[in-house]
Amino acid sequence: MRQLREALARLRGAFSRTDRDAELREELEAHVEMEIAEYIRRGMDPQEARRRALLASGGLTIATESVRAQRGLPWLESIAADTRYAVRALRRAPAFTAVVVLTLALGIGANTAIFSVVRGVLLKPLPHRDGDRLLYLRHTIEQPGGPRNVSFSVPEVTDFRNGAPSLGGIAEYSPWFDILQGRDVATRLDVGLVTGNFFDVMGLSPVLGRVTRPSDDGAGVPPVMVLSHEFWKSHYGGDSAIVGRQVTVDGRSVTVIGVLQPAPFFPDRADAFLNMVTSPHHLSALMVANRSHRMTEMIARLAPGATIEQARTEVAAVEARMLREHPDAYDPAAHDRIAAVPFKEALGERARLTLWLLMAAAAFVMIISVANVVNLTLMRGVRREHELVVRSALGAGAGRLRRLLLVENLLLTLLGAALGVLIAAGGVRLLTGLAQRYSPRASEISLDGTVLAFTVALAVVVALLLSFVAFLPSDGAFAAMISSGLHRIGGGVRRQRLQRGLVIAQVAVSVMLLAGAGLLTRTLLRLSQVDTGLRTEEVLTIPVPILDPARVTAAADAASKQQYERMRREIRALPGVRAVGLGSTMPLRASLLDFDLNVEGRANEVGQPVPHADFRTASPEYFRAAGIPLVQGREFTDTDWSGSQRVVIVNRALADRYLPGEDPIGKRIAWTGRVLRFTPVRNDWRTIVGIVGNTQDGGLDARRLAVVFAPFTQEMAMLGGIVIRADSNAAGLAGAASKIIRRIAPGVPVENVLTVSQIRDQSVAPRRLNAVLLSMFGILAVLIAAVGIAGVLAFSVSARTTEIGIRMSLGADRGQVQRMILREGGVLLAAGLVTGTIGAFFSAGLMRGLLFGVDPHDAATLVAVVLAMGAIGVGACWIPARRASRIDPAITIRQ
Amino acid sequence: MPDKQDVKQGTLSLMILTTLEVLGSLHGYGIARRIEETSKNRLALNYGTLYPALLKLEQEGFIAAEWKQSENNRRAKYYALTPAGRKQLARERREWHQTADLIAAFLAPKREA
Repeated sequence: MRQLREALARLRGAFSRTDRDAELREELEAHVEMEIAEYIRRGMDPQEARRRALLASGGLTIATESVRAQRGLPWLESIAADTRYAVRALRRAPAFTAVVVLTLALGIGANTAIFSVVRGVLLKPLPHRDGDRLLYLRHTIEQPGGPRNVSFSVPEVTDFRNGAPSLGGIAEYSPWFDILQGRDVATRLDVGLVTGNFFDVMGLSPVLGRVTRPSDDGAGVPPVMVLSHEFWKSHYGGDSAIVGRQVTVDGRSVTVIGVLQPAPFFPDRADAFLNMVTSPHHLSALMVANRSHRMTEMIARLAPGATIEQARTEVAAVEARMLREHPDAYDPAAHDRIAAVPFKEALGERARLTLWLLMAAAAFVMIISVANVVNLTLMRGVRREHELVVRSALGAGAGRLRRLLLVENLLLTLLGAALGVLIAAGGVRLLTGLAQRYSPRASEISLDGTVLAFTVALAVVVALLLSFVAFLPSDGAFAAMISSGLHRIGGGVRRQRLQRGLVIAQVAVSVMLLAGAGLLTRTLLRLSQVDTGLRTEEVLTIPVPILDPARVTAAADAASKQQYERMRREIRALPGVRAVGLGSTMPLRASLLDFDLNVEGRANEVGQPVPHADFRTASPEYFRAAGIPLVQGREFTDTDWSGSQRVVIVNRALADRYLPGEDPIGKRIAWTGRVLRFTPVRNDWRTIVGIVGNTQDGGLDARRLAVVFAPFTQEMAMLGGIVIRADSNAAGLAGAASKIIRRIAPGVPVENVLTVSQIRDQSVAPRRLNAVLLSMFGILAVLIAAVGIAGVLAFSVSARTTEIGIRMSLGADRGQVQRMILREGGVLLAAGLVTGTIGAFFSAGLMRGLLFGVDPHDAATLVAVVLAMGAIGVGACWIPARRASRIDPAITIRQ
Repeated sequence: MPDKQDVKQGTLSLMILTTLEVLGSLHGYGIARRIEETSKNRLALNYGTLYPALLKLEQEGFIAAEWKQSENNRRAKYYALTPAGRKQLARERREWHQTADLIAAFLAPKREA
């Protein structure tokens, strides 16, 4: 209590100085006066009385000082004094201050921005209760071109429920899509069909209403829907009266029971979560009883006390038993593998490599900026040596000087950090866009307290570093200075070695960054050269999913085909339209259907992966509209209708892969495999009538797939969409075409209306952003490093002015001097280039996953980078070298 | 003149509080004179010791200050005990007696042979 009162009073005292000083002076003077009066009263003469009184006081100044010390917070005041001094010192060196603050701001800004993303996406604890206890079970099989995630069937889920007790709860999630019918518009909903225990296992709570519970499972329960937080905000404007409302989903009335807390989407984006009863398919015997009918993702929560190792052992045991007991459901060639992955890891999987690469790049930029700032500080330190020596001679101890430097450096780095946070705030918005493509947690990215603490910590560490590399005058330095006639003294060799080491490091790190940027840029170039297989000029694509894939009937199919045909005819009649095609999937988009394949006359060998192809449908004009060239045979015609012979057109990849060295026209193929019977697709033989060129579907970097096109009229009209080729400005047709579609099929959502070039751009965008970011870091690094080299050399020149003057007066010409300085810089540059090249060579392998069509050890890239850095480095040496050659020996020696 | 002693650490606040208890409201000079007189001039109290001590007591809330006219018509800062100061004085006095007894017991000539 008593200490608290004193502390508060002191705090008050620390911030009010002047009036209290005046008051104190008056009080002390009164004391003196009274003392004098007393002495005079005793008979002393006034002058002697004053002398005695002042003597007795023990010094008014000392008294004032000690009262002040008691009044405020002396340490605070001395720091305030240091700060005032530092501000004054920095203001006297505006160029130095500006360069340092700016350099640090760039380094700190880059790091803050990237760190906020890394934290949001990879490090932050999950919003799920005990999120670290969640496991994602991944079921992969081998397929030509790489492993594939196939998820689980309900019997498989049951096996795990019974056989793996350390999985305390298993939530089922089946990705699906529904159409939400509003009064005027229909919206396509990406949904998760979930078991009642889903939210309990996931550890997620509602912000409104309730989430599903086990009583929502099974048949005969009311259909219910939980909205995702995002969809609730975007579609319902955060309407809190939504709970209890009936909405129409796929023609069925469903009750909205709650809104989920914000949470990352996994395994897929979901607008809403529905119970299984909303999908008749999910309650069918097929779904419930068939072991090969895999439509369910599993997320499990570790039982209390169970470890992930236990869970993995049990999962492996269950898997082994499944394979043993149900040989019919597992093709040995597929090499089924089931892995338990920590949920957090699964969430960060796609973002991890990119983000750590960017974090490393940002750290490199930080290293270079700090190196530069250290160099600048060292140089400034030499100019200040005189001042520091005088201060220490006047009684400032080493500790006090160190503190002074620290305050000054803190001021610099905190200014840099403040500016850096501003830069980061801009960068975070850009990066969130990037992260959204990789991570379901992008919405959790923010410049929050932890990130700011990271930034401040960074600034403080840099300030400490700067303060401790500075050389302080040692004891006796003053005497040495006096005796040497006030000339420069101080740690020459050690400082120079440090400076040179820093320059080498800067060059090396720049080379590594540039090499990374170069590889990504080459990747981008390679991607832009990828042939999509389409003539992409003016093509607009409009997905129009009329049919509910879960409830396709022959009548609905026929009706939808009539609607598609009307749309086709009306859009074809629009001015400027040259061709209109109908198809299941839009060109360049990944197909959602792919099956195993039987090729006539080719036995599927045991142990070899079965032929596999994408399944698409196309109308006669589809290929012309999309710009897919016919290589051989014929296109579909109007005579390929539902009653005629079953025909197909395959792409060249299929012909090359499964019918090599043969004429594919007239050969027959048939769909096969266990999955087939869950679809309306039949397994009868179809004759190949044409071959079309390959198209780059599912992204420019996706592997090339074998594709089978069937006539649009010979298959169910699943998914479905319209491809429009126009004379010019295909994008301009979007409005008119959408209007026609809405009129003919009012309940169908019209979304993702994109031109083919937009689809193409979408698939390159994340890599472009990667390349742009890393290139920005690279360029930044090179600039800072160039300034670093030039600065250090310039400093070396100015320190050697006399020496150079003497050399010149002894006969060295300008060229020789210039070469001497260039050589000095060249050695540093060469050392940096060599170190950097070695570093780049060994670290490039880490980037392999981000590259496309470029070897991580691509020689051309490395050579180009070394040449570029070398040229810039020589340029940076040139400036001080020229300055050195302009030294006038007559002037320097006289000095 | 005998050598004057400096005030022992921690005893000054007790002296100031006692002085103010006996004499009521008083200025710094008065307090100094009173302490010097009471100590029979064995204690020297310079301003650098007295005024910080007064300020500390004020900060702790044991004394309160007020500007008043002095007896010879000068403005002076008068200090007076607060209720908290009275309690503090009682406490310090008790503690001081205990300490003094203790020290006295230690310093007393030993009787045991």
